[in-house]
Amino acid sequence: MALTITEENLRKLVDRLVKDGARVVGPKVAGEMTVYEPLTSGAELAPGTLPRRSAKEAFFPLSETILSFQKGKEGLKVEDVDTNAFPRTVLLGALPCDAAAPQVMDAVFSWDYKDEFYLERRRRTVIVGLSCTSADDSCFCTLVGLAPTDTMGSDLFLTPLAGGGYSCQVVSDRGKEFLAGYPELFAEAATVTPVPPAEPEGTPVDLAKVKLWLEEHFEDEIWEEVADRCVGCGACAFLCPACHCFDIVDEGTEQSGSRRKNWDACAFSKFTNHASGHNPRDVQNKRYRNRFMHKFKYYDDKFGKTLCTGCGRCIRYCPVGIDIKGILEEIGKKALSTKDTKGHEENHHG
Amino acid sequence: MNNSTEKAEQAVTIDISGYDVATAEIRSEAKRLLTEKIVDAVVGYQAGRRKGSAVPVIITDPAQAEKLLFSPACVNNLSIYLTKAKKEIRAKGKLAVVAKGCDLRALAGLVGESQFKREEVVIIGVSCAGVHRAGIQPGEPLTNSTIAKKCRECSVHIPDEADLVVGKLPPLPDLPPKEKELMEKLDAMTPALRWEFWKEQFTRCIRCLACRQVCPFCYCEQCLCDRGRPQAVDTSPRPSGNMGWHIVRAMHLAGRCAGCAECERVCPMDIPLNLLNRKMAEELKELYHYEAGMKPVEKGPLTSYDEKDDQSFIK
Repeated sequence: MALTITEENLRKLVDRLVKDGARVVGPKVAGEMTVYEPLTSGAELAPGTLPRRSAKEAFFPLSETILSFQKGKEGLKVEDVDTNAFPRTVLLGALPCDAAAPQVMDAVFSWDYKDEFYLERRRRTVIVGLSCTSADDSCFCTLVGLAPTDTMGSDLFLTPLAGGGYSCQVVSDRGKEFLAGYPELFAEAATVTPVPPAEPEGTPVDLAKVKLWLEEHFEDEIWEEVADRCVGCGACAFLCPACHCFDIVDEGTEQSGSRRKNWDACAFSKFTNHASGHNPRDVQNKRYRNRFMHKFKYYDDKFGKTLCTGCGRCIRYCPVGIDIKGILEEIGKKALSTKDTKGHEENHHG
Repeated sequence: MNNSTEKAEQAVTIDISGYDVATAEIRSEAKRLLTEKIVDAVVGYQAGRRKGSAVPVIITDPAQAEKLLFSPACVNNLSIYLTKAKKEIRAKGKLAVVAKGCDLRALAGLVGESQFKREEVVIIGVSCAGVHRAGIQPGEPLTNSTIAKKCRECSVHIPDEADLVVGKLPPLPDLPPKEKELMEKLDAMTPALRWEFWKEQFTRCIRCLACRQVCPFCYCEQCLCDRGRPQAVDTSPRPSGNMGWHIVRAMHLAGRCAGCAECERVCPMDIPLNLLNRKMAEELKELYHYEAGMKPVEKGPLTSYDEKDDQSFIK
């Protein structure tokens, strides 16, 4: 038996949740693009298209106030943000590449410092993932160990059915608990026919070997080849579901203001600019190398995970066509031959 | 801001057979320039992994000249690689650059601003019928629905001032302008409505700074908008700072922007940034009879002072 929900009931679910005061973040059409945004009704839900920006904003907003300050008669008053006031949230209709990313980022946000803002939002959120049924030439989830049907990170997981509606898989206890609140919106079906999942094309890569190759090729001509053209904007990092670097700034007037946590990007030249004026990543290809290394080596070194879910947004929106999928495939190939010819330099690149 | 003419317009395919000619000529010229050591590197386009795509490339080996190409996917304005924002490219030595007519205007502006001397750069100009707009799947044919807005109003299909012009220009269809229509719509708005329009647009800005980074004229080593002490513009991606950032940028580009519209093409949030630059350019034309990027000019109207300047706006 499979649990199912009709399209109509899914929209009703959104309406119910909104009515109950939950923040429902889901894909929504805004102008000519789709974005993950808080929905005001089920009618707004536009599932199935990969939104322009990732779903990480549900936990890690573009800009958030982390404290505010005010000068008054009694001196300076500093006020913390009440994370207990964060709303109960349902992230609904996140495709696997977006649904999986928070689980990857949890490691860094709960490591040496517990980021209460991120973690509190995570604690209050149920993720309802959605099986992916269309891929383009920038998609590569299957190259980074995920799949269009991957339930990683989801609490509940929807699969579009051929005749309309969805089957619903319970992935976690949190999902089970959530489901118990809305039994009348779901039904049981003896058999279901899912819409076939998307099939991203690509040469499979061995991520462990890629990591080994990266360890030995911090200095390599590939970085100039692929990234001399990088212009140093933050489009890749800002659209990425897994990039999580941020900057902290104080803004306001002398009398009052707030401290904010804003997205940052390692492609920006200022990212590593020291107070002395020295910049260890002095040229753009070194900054791109960092992005790649962080995704496929450093994050794995530290947390045992790959910091990329293969959504392809950085490829689609790179102003100069830097193609992480192509680079991963290329390094994947090099990584195989490196092992074969280890110690036999003359046989390299044969 | 979609308009009805878009729907009514018949499908028109643009002849790009001249691009194959351009590709062959770019290759042989790049090979010659590198072999004869006239230049140390050539900045051009090569195929990307995605079928039909083209990406900027910097080649130094004559054998790599075979990789160069020209196609409707050659959207980038490569003049950015010649500015001081890309020191590592300039460090390669003397450069040649592949330039469409619109890109050539930026090059002229950069010469005027002493970014490099004209004789220091070899310009391979391409006769260009147009390139894709943003968001087009690479490999799509060039048609009236896939062509960039700027190309519909292009007046520089043949970059005459280049050292060599390659390719062949086909007879061009007459495409009704789109951006001009948008400009007219905005101009017709009341200031309050226009303010609302831009407020809505800038609310979407995520401050990825792609607009700045692809701009040939945003080569400042210290951007005012990155300054922290004192902070001129809020760096937070919030409405006030976003508005500040885009207005500062438009003002700083007034009289300098050569209209390549790269800022708008690369904006991942689809903000029609070129409307701002175009408005500034129109004002400059009206007030000072000046058009940026037509020829190298050391000091444009906003960086020079003359007693005869219009002062009627000072009240």
